[in-house]
Amino acid sequence: MVRQDGYQFDSFSLEVSIPPLILQNEASLWSYMQSKYGSEPWFREKIHTGCVSIKDALKFSLINPLEKLLDCKSSLCPFRIRLTYTHTKASEGVAKCSDNGGSCKRRKTGESDSIGEGTLSSSVEDESFDFSKLFPKSENEPCNFSYNCSRTPFYFGGRYLKYSRNVSQTRWIIDDERMGEASVEEIIGIKVLQACGGDNYKFHAAGREDIDVRMLGPGRPFILEVQNTRLVPTEQFANDIEKMINKEENKLVRVNNLKLVGSDGWNLMREGEGEKQKQYAALVWTSRPLKDEDFQQVSSLKDLKVAQRTPIRVLHRRSPLEREKIIHWMKMETVAGSSQYFLLHLCTQAGTYIKEFVHGDLGRTHPSIGSILGCRAEILQLDVTDIKMECFLT
Amino acid sequence: MSDRITEESNSSETKELEQKQDKQKKEEEYEDEELPKLLLSDVQTLPSTPPSAVESNFAIYFALDFMKPRHDQYVYRHANGLCVIGLAPSHVAFKDEGGITSTDFNVGKSDRSGVKVTGKRKKNAQHFESNTALCKVSTKNDSYIVRCCVKGSLLEVNQQLIKQPELLNASADREGYIAIIMPKPVDWLKIKPSLVNLEEYKKLREVS
Repeated sequence: MVRQDGYQFDSFSLEVSIPPLILQNEASLWSYMQSKYGSEPWFREKIHTGCVSIKDALKFSLINPLEKLLDCKSSLCPFRIRLTYTHTKASEGVAKCSDNGGSCKRRKTGESDSIGEGTLSSSVEDESFDFSKLFPKSENEPCNFSYNCSRTPFYFGGRYLKYSRNVSQTRWIIDDERMGEASVEEIIGIKVLQACGGDNYKFHAAGREDIDVRMLGPGRPFILEVQNTRLVPTEQFANDIEKMINKEENKLVRVNNLKLVGSDGWNLMREGEGEKQKQYAALVWTSRPLKDEDFQQVSSLKDLKVAQRTPIRVLHRRSPLEREKIIHWMKMETVAGSSQYFLLHLCTQAGTYIKEFVHGDLGRTHPSIGSILGCRAEILQLDVTDIKMECFLT
Repeated sequence: MSDRITEESNSSETKELEQKQDKQKKEEEYEDEELPKLLLSDVQTLPSTPPSAVESNFAIYFALDFMKPRHDQYVYRHANGLCVIGLAPSHVAFKDEGGITSTDFNVGKSDRSGVKVTGKRKKNAQHFESNTALCKVSTKNDSYIVRCCVKGSLLEVNQQLIKQPELLNASADREGYIAIIMPKPVDWLKIKPSLVNLEEYKKLREVS
């Protein structure tokens, strides 16, 4: 089965799950022996040197033949083989446990079989429950056996650029209709998923931009989590995928510095996400022609505090709050010989709504470019030109 | 033989260094040439007056003679369903000499400016009918009631109007907005037929 699914691996880690009934029998046997031989010195000695539980014994006996069969060693590694033994007869102990109520905790685990296990093992510790009362009955039915194997997820980190004003960051569907022509997460995720044969992916980015805003400059950091890959991705693999994505004809999205990351990738990305500064270039129109003094006035404002009430365009899904944000610096650049159009470069605190800072959002963002210049201002287009974060720059 | 090996390793090191330098140069070039080109790539034909943020993001409607003759109000409806309510340019209040001199949100049973709406679910928002009073605007000789026009939850009133009622005279269509209301989709559909769009408004009120 492992070969059938096309898994590539050079070691495996074995997990075994056995029916609660066996555990119960084991536990009742133990408490019986405890009560009968507890006082005997040889028993006490045995306890000190340790006894092998049924589960471990099974595991030990299975590992060697499996190693021979799959022609590799077993060790703690991402590739997991899980053998599950179940029995139609439910454990009596479990039923009694749930009657007890409070003392048994139901721990939620990934596999549904282990719920019975969890309940039982926690009650084994609960000494008030006397297992010797449950005598093991001889069983004629064999256990049912099932197996599956999976791999722990792999993580790719990198930076993405978005050249299109019609591509959203994540899949965006309203009333069964897709908004925009594609999404960054699908463009990157589908390619990576296909290339390494995974089951599904999760896209995580450090912040986001609107569908009509381009992401330029060094790009925005992201992490792509791929679950249950059939192949084992390598650095070379990451390089190849990066080249493949960037070769796409329509050039909607670009990926830089794609590589495998471990758990430290998360920390790098999340660390200071709220404090990192972002840089933008906005094409702005003003209702009156601008002069040099206006340009100078704008450039002179450093670390300008702006009070932004939740923009009307997101007010339906966000809390109505007033948030104070900082515009670190601004620079204006004339455009196409016009006196009413210019390119506004600005560097702001993370979380600042740029569009609202330009047009003022009916006065709910104050100050705004319009209020600073004493006229009406509109924004025609916006580009993110830098995300000042340290991660995934190489 | 060992000389050759060190020679080779040296040349591969220099190759790496060259590649790095090339990359740096390319990045610098990008900053100087490519990025500006990209930023201005769409700037082919710029209109002399672009559409305003309101025109681009809202559907503009008017409620004419709302409950009283010439009490004209506007309703800007965003794609997300929220409605901004305000005084239309043809509202009778603007005809009075001196324009609007004061506003008062304490109408009906409560002071509309006092309610604090919190959270994503908009807790504490008051539910109003379309004819519920939002505020009273006064001129030198008269006062007029501004109403919701749309049935829904009152999310916000424009607090600025309390201290700066002159905003209504200068820019009732923007900074002088009265309130933001969130109607249920079904309530919007009920009221929509009684509203007119910008074109119809211009015709009916003979505004250019």
